Amino acid sequence: MITLTALRSFSVPVQAPCITPENFAGKSITEIKALPVTEGNCNVTLGDLFKLEQTPEETPNITLNGDLGKVKRVGQAMKSGEIVINGNIGMHTGEKMAGGKIVITGNAGGWTGSEMKKGTIEIHGDGGDYLASPYRGNDLGMKGGLITVDGNVGSDVGCHLKGGIIKIKGSAGRFLGYHMNDGVIYVEKDCDVRTGACMVGGKIVVGGTLEILPSFTIDSIKPKVKVDNITSVTGPFYVFLGDLSEHGTGKLFVNKSANSALKFYEKYL
Amino acid sequence: MSKIINNVVCPICGCLCDDLEVTVENNEIVKMKNGCAVCDAKMVHGYKSEERILKPLIRKDGKLIPVSMDEAIKKAAQILADAKYPLLFGWSSTVGEAQRIGVELAEELGSALDNCCSVCHGPSVMATQEIGIPAATLGQTRHRADLIVYWACNPWASHPRHVERYTAFTSGRFESSEWKNYMQRLKAASGRKKMEMASKRIARVEPPIKPKVCFTGPPPQMLEQKPGRKMIVVDVRKTMTAEIADYFLQIEPNRDYEVIEALRCLVTDQEIDVDKVGGIPIDTLRDVADAMMNCEFGVIYFGLGMTQSLGRFRNIEIAIALARDLNRKTKFVISPMRGHFNVTGANNVFAWQTGYPFAIDFSQGYPQFNPGENTAVDLLKRGDNDATLIIAADPGAHFPSVIMQNMMKHPLITINPDMNAISRLGDVVFPAQWCGIEYAGTAYRMDTVPITLKKVVEAPPGVLTDEELLSRILKEVRAIKIKRGEPVGQTEITPTHPDTTKPSPTHKTPAKPKQTKKTKERLK
Repeated sequence: MITLTALRSFSVPVQAPCITPENFAGKSITEIKALPVTEGNCNVTLGDLFKLEQTPEETPNITLNGDLGKVKRVGQAMKSGEIVINGNIGMHTGEKMAGGKIVITGNAGGWTGSEMKKGTIEIHGDGGDYLASPYRGNDLGMKGGLITVDGNVGSDVGCHLKGGIIKIKGSAGRFLGYHMNDGVIYVEKDCDVRTGACMVGGKIVVGGTLEILPSFTIDSIKPKVKVDNITSVTGPFYVFLGDLSEHGTGKLFVNKSANSALKFYEKYL
Repeated sequence: MSKIINNVVCPICGCLCDDLEVTVENNEIVKMKNGCAVCDAKMVHGYKSEERILKPLIRKDGKLIPVSMDEAIKKAAQILADAKYPLLFGWSSTVGEAQRIGVELAEELGSALDNCCSVCHGPSVMATQEIGIPAATLGQTRHRADLIVYWACNPWASHPRHVERYTAFTSGRFESSEWKNYMQRLKAASGRKKMEMASKRIARVEPPIKPKVCFTGPPPQMLEQKPGRKMIVVDVRKTMTAEIADYFLQIEPNRDYEVIEALRCLVTDQEIDVDKVGGIPIDTLRDVADAMMNCEFGVIYFGLGMTQSLGRFRNIEIAIALARDLNRKTKFVISPMRGHFNVTGANNVFAWQTGYPFAIDFSQGYPQFNPGENTAVDLLKRGDNDATLIIAADPGAHFPSVIMQNMMKHPLITINPDMNAISRLGDVVFPAQWCGIEYAGTAYRMDTVPITLKKVVEAPPGVLTDEELLSRILKEVRAIKIKRGEPVGQTEITPTHPDTTKPSPTHKTPAKPKQTKKTKERLK
């Protein structure tokens, strides 16, 4: 295991896409120290910014300590292994990830797990905005894997989702699952406005309160819903179909007991 | 001796009206014809401000002291070259030629580069990247549009000649002006108001409480019967533009997305389960959707009410999707009401230089684009940068206080013609010329049509153009980097208008090609 500890708190953004288990594998400490990173516009090495230590344990492969709120692109395109981040981490963590596991004990920045294909990301704090959403102008969202968040998430989470599961224990911001095609998003608490806007497929399960867009229509009431092979949530749930303006067939499962304001939809059943 | 200059371009808003007639006496504008009140305020009075900066200033012991241009340029270049991650922001009120040098400076510094559109119509640009845009030039709408929708904007105050020159009140080739109808309506309304006042005085009845959602003009189904151009205004409050509209739809604040989504459902013949959306009954929305589908050539102009309210670029995305759906039934276009006169130019110049229109990061040596990460407000909120250069903008008057506090923690360089809020806070303060008044250049109209601004009067002595000033700063930065042994860019800087006293080369008639023997023979 390689442990990286930040030598100081960073004032400008640090871009460190080299911090992946594949990049570190088979390299000595001096070789890892010489890996290039940028601090603002300066080209520096990993050894200039972090204290590196090697211990004999095998998992996790990499542990990061210190104030890392401005460190971006950790675990970019990683395929295997495990990274544990003790504290907060900056944007684009686990971007284009194709396997392995990232554990973040603090909060994650924006675009975490963006365009992810496989693997697991565990966030014990809050997830930022654009969690599992693609790069601007791109419609290739998360394709597979699992993201779990213990806290709340920001806006535009799971945009253009094409597969995989996102589980959020807290609340979610607006535009959750915007334009999603497939996959599952499960929010245990409340959602902000415009959930599932422009969705054409997939499933969003909401345990708390929610506001329904006018372009959704009620389909049925179901007693329980399956999130994945392990989890199923008992309701009852209102099932909405949408987004009609996109001719979509996405399903929105909304907890009946938490949403008395949606009772008038029952007359259409 | 007075001199009249025709066809002067107005450097205020995105309309770039190019029909001004300016009278100049003793190197001063004394009269201006054809322009609006906003144009008059800047072209005749504003540019002669008493707060004009005439010499570069450097902050020493908390006070701004006048210094020589060379000293100020050296100081600014040193600040920028020493910074690990500077931010260059502004650009919307300067010309394309200066913006070009700005991109080169940002690349040389490895800095973040952003323009004012990130706090105005940046969401429109982002939505265009997501979904595309069915757009048209203002000339098209002037000649052909028979349904004009102003959504969340108030051109009567922000773009005063937009309605008069390009939409309802102009005589196009295929559509006539609605000015006379408006005047008749205005007279009838004032007559009605007088009658109401008189009857109120006689009866002494309490005025009725206005309903939360009020509609003016005839009901929308009558829009189909009305001959000529039709104008619909959608806003959260009754603005001056709403007064001149044929139909005004007052929606609840932050409900634009839901209302457009409902309109999309109606246009695509989908059933809606709810009775009201954004405070508007579905039947009313159905009539508006019918009016939109039955027009010959419709246009939606949207403003900051949509780009900067809840949902931001998603609002625009859905509005563009509505225009796309309407294009299956009729011809429909959509266009943003850009604010500053060259904010569209900043997007265009940045896009052809770097590939991206705003929110650019050069820290990796190549341009990276990500609004939310590299936009000025987000970047300053996180406190990521360590030096700032502001040109042709005044964030001091418009940015939130937290962001200004973070900006003030580090050195600040400003380039503005007069002592505005941001210049007062600067560590190095440069004077600048008023572009479009004191020097010529290229600006892009709101529909991305490039128009050449004219030089009308001479600038005060010693004050450089933005283009020349930035070129000199860039040269100095390169000199510092060469001293340090760092690699520098290879481009030779050739300002387009190096000498401000001479007319710009764009106005020169091109030299005739020399006739060779062969061509002479052919001509014979």
